[in-house]
Amino acid sequence: MKKVLFYLVLVILWELAYRGGTVYFSFWNVNYFPSPLEVIKRLVVLFTSTKLWSYIADSLNTVFIGYAISIVLGILTGFIITHFKFLNENLIGLLWGLQTLPNVCWLPFAILWFGENQKAVIFVIAIGSIFAISLGTISGINNINPVYIKSAKSLGAKGVKAYINVIIPASLPGIISGLKQGWLFAWRALMSGEMLLATRGLGKVLLEGRENQDIVQIVAVMFVIIAIGILVEALVFKRIEAGIRERWGLNKC
Amino acid sequence: MELVVKDISKIYSSKNKTNTSLNKINLCIKKGEFICIVGPSGCGKSTLLNIIAGLEKATTGQVIINGTKVTNPGSDRAMVFQDGALFPWLRVIDNVEFGMKMAGVPKKARRERALEYLKLVHLTEFQNSYVHELSGGMRQRVAIARALSLDSEILLMDEPFSALDSQTRSILQLELQQIWWKTKKTIIFVTHMVEEAVLLGDRVIVLTSSPGKIKKEYAIQLSRPRLPENPDINYYARKIKNQLKNEVGKVAKSEFDSDWYVEKGTVLSGAGDTLGIGL
Repeated sequence: MKKVLFYLVLVILWELAYRGGTVYFSFWNVNYFPSPLEVIKRLVVLFTSTKLWSYIADSLNTVFIGYAISIVLGILTGFIITHFKFLNENLIGLLWGLQTLPNVCWLPFAILWFGENQKAVIFVIAIGSIFAISLGTISGINNINPVYIKSAKSLGAKGVKAYINVIIPASLPGIISGLKQGWLFAWRALMSGEMLLATRGLGKVLLEGRENQDIVQIVAVMFVIIAIGILVEALVFKRIEAGIRERWGLNKC
Repeated sequence: MELVVKDISKIYSSKNKTNTSLNKINLCIKKGEFICIVGPSGCGKSTLLNIIAGLEKATTGQVIINGTKVTNPGSDRAMVFQDGALFPWLRVIDNVEFGMKMAGVPKKARRERALEYLKLVHLTEFQNSYVHELSGGMRQRVAIARALSLDSEILLMDEPFSALDSQTRSILQLELQQIWWKTKKTIIFVTHMVEEAVLLGDRVIVLTSSPGKIKKEYAIQLSRPRLPENPDINYYARKIKNQLKNEVGKVAKSEFDSDWYVEKGTVLSGAGDTLGIGL
């Protein structure tokens, strides 16, 4: 209830800023500053048209392919790196470096490899999120309480069995936080990819807004993008995390 | 069955100094014996247990069981850790089944046997609980059931009761004696509590600190089950504590300021006019 009130106040302030800036004092051009009411109206219009829905579907499709690739490769590389002490000690710095590289920087590279098409966007998504997932997996494994490893060894866990029954479940909290971060990176990478390369998708709608000098559409679509990002986080990752915390008894204290 | 610890030494070396944790430990343990290893903190008693378990490598010397050298953890030596080390992602029953699962025992057989062991520690009602739903004492009982499930000849226990409150501890001490009686296992039990060692052990082995060496060995010939209020336990404990006094002083000296010494700590200085008023 308090939250709703808080956001309501924010919207009112926005509306006041709009009225003050454009209508009464006119130091802002109406074309460059949208009013919240306009944005809401536009959202309704956009959501009643099929075009936005199909573009959302396109975007989600692209991001899921890229994200799926990075999940598989990220977790796999995480396990391989932690398996070899030498890699574990030396490669993490490089991964951090690659993780800091903004994902747009991969675009020129992607275009050379794949051409200006969806494949390039998928590549940027995958490469943008893979290091976060990999690093999450690595820290998940490196932070396993050593006593679990000891007791697993003394109970006869070895090789693949040890991985399946102990190392993977014990590192799950780290893996999940890596996946969560990876999702955020993937979602951002999708936008930068689509704005530059796509002929469909949400990034494309944003660009259309710019081409038509339609600030209302731009802001409306920005809200859609935020909403999808948050929704996936809340519906997927929050639930998984809550499930793990519950099971491990981390909520008690 | 015979377990021989032969000339075990363990030296940790870091950049600028080497630290001898264990120095030429020799032990011979017979089948079905209950051995307690006691010593001040940092004397390497847990290290010794880890070496016997095969979880750590000795710098020199070897551990021999029934004529074969120990190199790795094996199912002939089950271990119980200080904080239980149960897996939080598994239910109680799955924790107990874990060792059998690793050994490839089929699902149905291992469930049956796990239930037997849970019954031995009186926890069948909690078989479907998660670890965090149990109290500290219950967790240690699950850990004991899990270790027993390997059906090993030797049970290694690394300060298993030291994190528990004293009431729970005495209940578990009694229960452990009964389990030992029923299963006839060889138990090596590491503790820093002298009373606990005397209460449980057939033999109590006293280690000195840095470097860890066997100082003395006591055979405790008292009838079982032993109860903590038995005055004979106190008698033995006092004897061992006197032995340990110098050792404890040595450790404390490195941890306290230089103006401290053991005797001073036992006398209240500056007793005022209220001394003895409550007599």
